[in-house]
Amino acid sequence: MDYYHSPSSIKDALSMAGKFSGNYTIFAGGTDIQIYRKQQLDTNEHIIDLSGIDELNSIATKEGILHLGAMTTLDEIISSDEIQLHYPLIAEAAKSVATPVLRKTATIGGNLLVKNRCVFYNQSQAWRNGMGSCLRDVGTICQVTGGKKDCYSRNVSDTAAALIALGAEITLMTPDGITQKPLKDIYLPCGIKFHNLEEHSILTQISVPIKPKKWWYKKLRLRKTLDFTSLTVAATVDINSIARVCLNGVSMSPILVEQTMDTLTQENLTRQARKNCKTVDNDLMPLKYRREMINVFLEEWWDSIEII
Amino acid sequence: MGLKQIELTVNGFSSPFLVQSDEVLLFTLRERLYLTGTKEGCNQGTCGSCTVLLDGKPVLSCMTPTLRCVGKKIITIENISSGDTLHTVQKYLVEKGGLQCGFCTPGVVMTMVPFLEENPNASREEIKEGLSGNLCRCTGYKKIIDAVENAAEEMRS
Repeated sequence: MDYYHSPSSIKDALSMAGKFSGNYTIFAGGTDIQIYRKQQLDTNEHIIDLSGIDELNSIATKEGILHLGAMTTLDEIISSDEIQLHYPLIAEAAKSVATPVLRKTATIGGNLLVKNRCVFYNQSQAWRNGMGSCLRDVGTICQVTGGKKDCYSRNVSDTAAALIALGAEITLMTPDGITQKPLKDIYLPCGIKFHNLEEHSILTQISVPIKPKKWWYKKLRLRKTLDFTSLTVAATVDINSIARVCLNGVSMSPILVEQTMDTLTQENLTRQARKNCKTVDNDLMPLKYRREMINVFLEEWWDSIEII
Repeated sequence: MGLKQIELTVNGFSSPFLVQSDEVLLFTLRERLYLTGTKEGCNQGTCGSCTVLLDGKPVLSCMTPTLRCVGKKIITIENISSGDTLHTVQKYLVEKGGLQCGFCTPGVVMTMVPFLEENPNASREEIKEGLSGNLCRCTGYKKIIDAVENAAEEMRS
């Protein structure tokens, strides 16, 4: 029996997904999911490795819209002249992920669908056995909140924050055909089932329509290159003065505040962002500090907009 | 997970192997081929000690499925020098004392060789950024960066 599969087309990948229903893991770059396998957090028998599908690796601009293949590596995105020139926010977000060597393997599609993280869940099996499993593993309660029945693990995708701030859309291939939806709509406010994609669907492309008039990006983490984000803020203002501020790393899904600059105030922005963030103490940084840093980052963005 | 017979090209030699379906390249290199120059540090993609070249591109072998490497050229630290002549990066690491315990050194070399080929005019800051995924537990970063800077200078001339 063969357990590792390297399809050469999306059609083959979808047929494999159908065949191994419920017992497969999709590898994009594999830089994150490989750790889940080592820690016995992912025990599916079949691996479907998308790295052999060349058609998923592309950067192209058609009619003013940037199209990124889901298997484009973060390094290719950073090195692209087109992206550096017209979409520096995407390049900046990609550059803030992991290390230069990992970025040569890690993909944009993989980063958008990176699993939610929590200090009580993303640990070795021995650690989890010692501490007591949480409800996302085999336990019955959330260890972070001391017994709640919801999972609050954090969405830690940096590129998701940037692409949502840019109003990106994604293309999904399913056995029934192609569907497109705004990226922001796929994330669910749940730590366990963090997206609403159908089981046998493959993210194939990301389309970015907006070339923003202004952009801003900042990421908070304990150790550069080592840690996942503790707070990522990506913000854009388009030619119609619509501000799109996206926060990630502080809640179960990215938090988007979208409002015209005419009516937006700093207090209003901070209040909306803080209200929507379900931040709990599940990161290396203390909870109080992370909450305070939301205010600090939003204030910095607000000041930068006023200066511009 | 079952065993699978594959052919890998490592350091210019092709040989058939039996590997586990979910095996990572680091395990194959160290435990099946006894190429122990590639080090196992964190085993979770953080420390850079296990860096090897896959079709000329640096990858972390602890995160790379072995079966993904079929049909590709793998170069490990054992093949980076030309016989007894060290690669320029290796030479300067020795000359400038760019190592203490030496555990991270294979990873540093395998990261910096393609980096300097790609960025021959890299500044000190860019070298630091390029090395940001290589952890030295002896914290001897200054001399490592000095050595790489010297190597870059010689490779340019």
